[in-house]
Amino acid sequence: MKQIILCLAGLMLAAGPACAQQDSAPAGNAANGKTLYAQVGCYQCHGYAGQGARMTGPRISRTEFPFEGFLYQLRHPANQMPPYEAAVISDQDAADLYAYVRQMPSPRDPNSIPLLNAKR
Amino acid sequence: MTESESTALHRRRFLKGMVVAGGATIASPAAVQAQAAEKPNGNASPPTAAAKANERETPQEADRLTTEKTGSDFMVDVCKTLNLDYMAACPGSTFRAMQESFINYGQNKRPEWLTCMHEEVAVGMAHGYAKVAGKPMAAIVHGTVGTQHAAMGIYNAYCDRVPIMVFAGNAGALDERRPGVEWFHSVQDGAATVRDFVKWDDYPMSLQHFAESTVRGYALACAQPPGPVFITADTKLQEGPLDQRDQRKLTIPRLVKPSQAAGDANAVREAAKMLVAAEAPVIIADRYARSQQGMDDLVTLAELLQAPVVDNRSRMNMPNTHYLCQSERAGGLIAQADCILSLEPVDLYGQLNVMRDQLERTVSSKAKKGVKVVSISTHDLLVHSNYQDFQRYVGADINITADAQTTLPSLIEAVRREIAPGGNKSAEPRGQKMREAFNGFADRARAEAALAWDATPISSARMYMELWEQLRREDWALVSDSDFSSNWPHRLWPMDRHYRFIGGSGGYGVGYQPVAALGAALAHRDAGGRVVVSITGDGEFNMAPHTLWTAAHHGIPYLTIIQNNRAYHQEVMHVQRMANRHNRGLRNVPIGTTIDNPNIDYARIAQGYGAVGIGPISDPNDLSEAIRKGVAAVKAGQPALIDVVMQPR
Repeated sequence: MKQIILCLAGLMLAAGPACAQQDSAPAGNAANGKTLYAQVGCYQCHGYAGQGARMTGPRISRTEFPFEGFLYQLRHPANQMPPYEAAVISDQDAADLYAYVRQMPSPRDPNSIPLLNAKR
Repeated sequence: MTESESTALHRRRFLKGMVVAGGATIASPAAVQAQAAEKPNGNASPPTAAAKANERETPQEADRLTTEKTGSDFMVDVCKTLNLDYMAACPGSTFRAMQESFINYGQNKRPEWLTCMHEEVAVGMAHGYAKVAGKPMAAIVHGTVGTQHAAMGIYNAYCDRVPIMVFAGNAGALDERRPGVEWFHSVQDGAATVRDFVKWDDYPMSLQHFAESTVRGYALACAQPPGPVFITADTKLQEGPLDQRDQRKLTIPRLVKPSQAAGDANAVREAAKMLVAAEAPVIIADRYARSQQGMDDLVTLAELLQAPVVDNRSRMNMPNTHYLCQSERAGGLIAQADCILSLEPVDLYGQLNVMRDQLERTVSSKAKKGVKVVSISTHDLLVHSNYQDFQRYVGADINITADAQTTLPSLIEAVRREIAPGGNKSAEPRGQKMREAFNGFADRARAEAALAWDATPISSARMYMELWEQLRREDWALVSDSDFSSNWPHRLWPMDRHYRFIGGSGGYGVGYQPVAALGAALAHRDAGGRVVVSITGDGEFNMAPHTLWTAAHHGIPYLTIIQNNRAYHQEVMHVQRMANRHNRGLRNVPIGTTIDNPNIDYARIAQGYGAVGIGPISDPNDLSEAIRKGVAAVKAGQPALIDVVMQPR
């Protein structure tokens, strides 16, 4: 059962905006979350814009993943992600990070970017 | 007078001139003393010739100070029969005679001598060259210290199964060594340092031995699986005079290029039956295609089976413009496969399993239980004991020990025979699914590329698409791996020809990228002036920035883009993982892993080495103009570098 939960956590985090939003997240300080995002190294695998990278970590910008799952993935990562226990990121820090990634800027529509529409 | 005669005579005059000058300054005092000692005493009879000879400190033949022909000239003759176009070297006195013979006696043509600033560059250059040219070039390294410098580059080529010829000088006989330095640069067994990761080595004891071992070594280097060959050239053999009588006894064996090993017919037939019977076959191509023919054959096989191909990109295997190139869905396809055909797997175990890098390492299978596995590979033909590049053992259902590219035509024929006369109707729906999935790849990649399009530092997707805009009207080649930049070129560019891409380092020895790019760019230059680009991490580049000088000196144009994340970023992540695991916080993770404070000015470094240097570029809106200038410089024949401050991956 635990394995199934872990897998779900990983899949849902990776899926990002495709998952349903839940409003159970504690109040978070997005400004502090931005600082933490760099300090605790989220950018290393997920990029400064939360865009994700093929070999290191999925997109997390504007995640609609519920906070409980977000926290569970931090504490008990389902895959290769290193664990972030409370000694490294407190629950409040996690809430701040969550607030930050939730309000990251919307990505541009690829159809509005000429270089992404040029014929290959 | 022919050109060669002219060169030879000039060389003789030069050497004689040197001898006369040297004799005037060094030998004169001794000569004066000798004359004084030989003044006849009035009461004694003059010494006989025999007595004179006995009293000499050096034998009579030591008076011979020059020679017209040396063993190293013959070594040049040997190399010229092998169609070696280049000999790359950082200078070293243990091969001084060979160097002089190549540049004078050999007229510095085929092979042409290339100047490198580190032995790792010389062999790494040969590594990149061979992957484009399809044949070896040579590197020569100094005894002991040069071999030590070259070792990592040789290891990369060995792990990547790439043919290179490495020569090393060595003063074998102790009575031939000058006191001091020559002893430090002499060794009993020159190849011992690298023997665990070369395909073959030898220390020839005669010139005839040198000829046979060099020709044999070249043939062995090219036989699948290919690899580095290491030949030690003794200094006495190099520098010793070669008189006409001895020369007439020498012969150079004819090089016969080996035909490659094809798979056993029965095993191939069984493999074909298994693949045709499968409902969800998957082909994984790894270190497979070494030519366009290899790519074309893979397309033929995939179409016959309507089987998806997962290209692991150790080589340019499958055109990503073909709907059966399904690398984007590798995980799902392997999980659902009932039969997997693996072509030249680097790590078959890793293709089928994943290990979780947590405190307790656990393994899980990527494939479903009962999946049939067919491997066609030369892997088992080149396995040594010490270095563990052979990976974990997997018992495939059919393990065909043969060259996959050579075997594929017979597998194609066997598959055709297995398919009923009415065609492979069960495969058609499978193909339709592949087309539908393929049509979504580009949209998904575009959407992901847009995510950080305007971000600073610049996203890897933005950089690759700005670069593509400048390349798409050119005949281009990418000579760098893309694993550390989210595989964007394989997702967003049309990788349709074998020469477009050469795979990665093989052994993951940092420093491969700038040196292999140099060699690959040389081969592309000779092939007709393709626009060559190399995306190089800043950590990689710092291992050999002087490759740009070699490029400028020898007129090798290519564009280097520094993917400047100001760190050894892979190691940043490793140290972070350990800090997390130990619950010690992440404040100190940058210590020892980041490359900042001060930031390095790569554009100025490039300019200092004689290349065009542009950057640093931090604003994504400045990229287009910077890349336009860089590509223009390359098209004008110059090496160029653009420093782009980028996201980590």
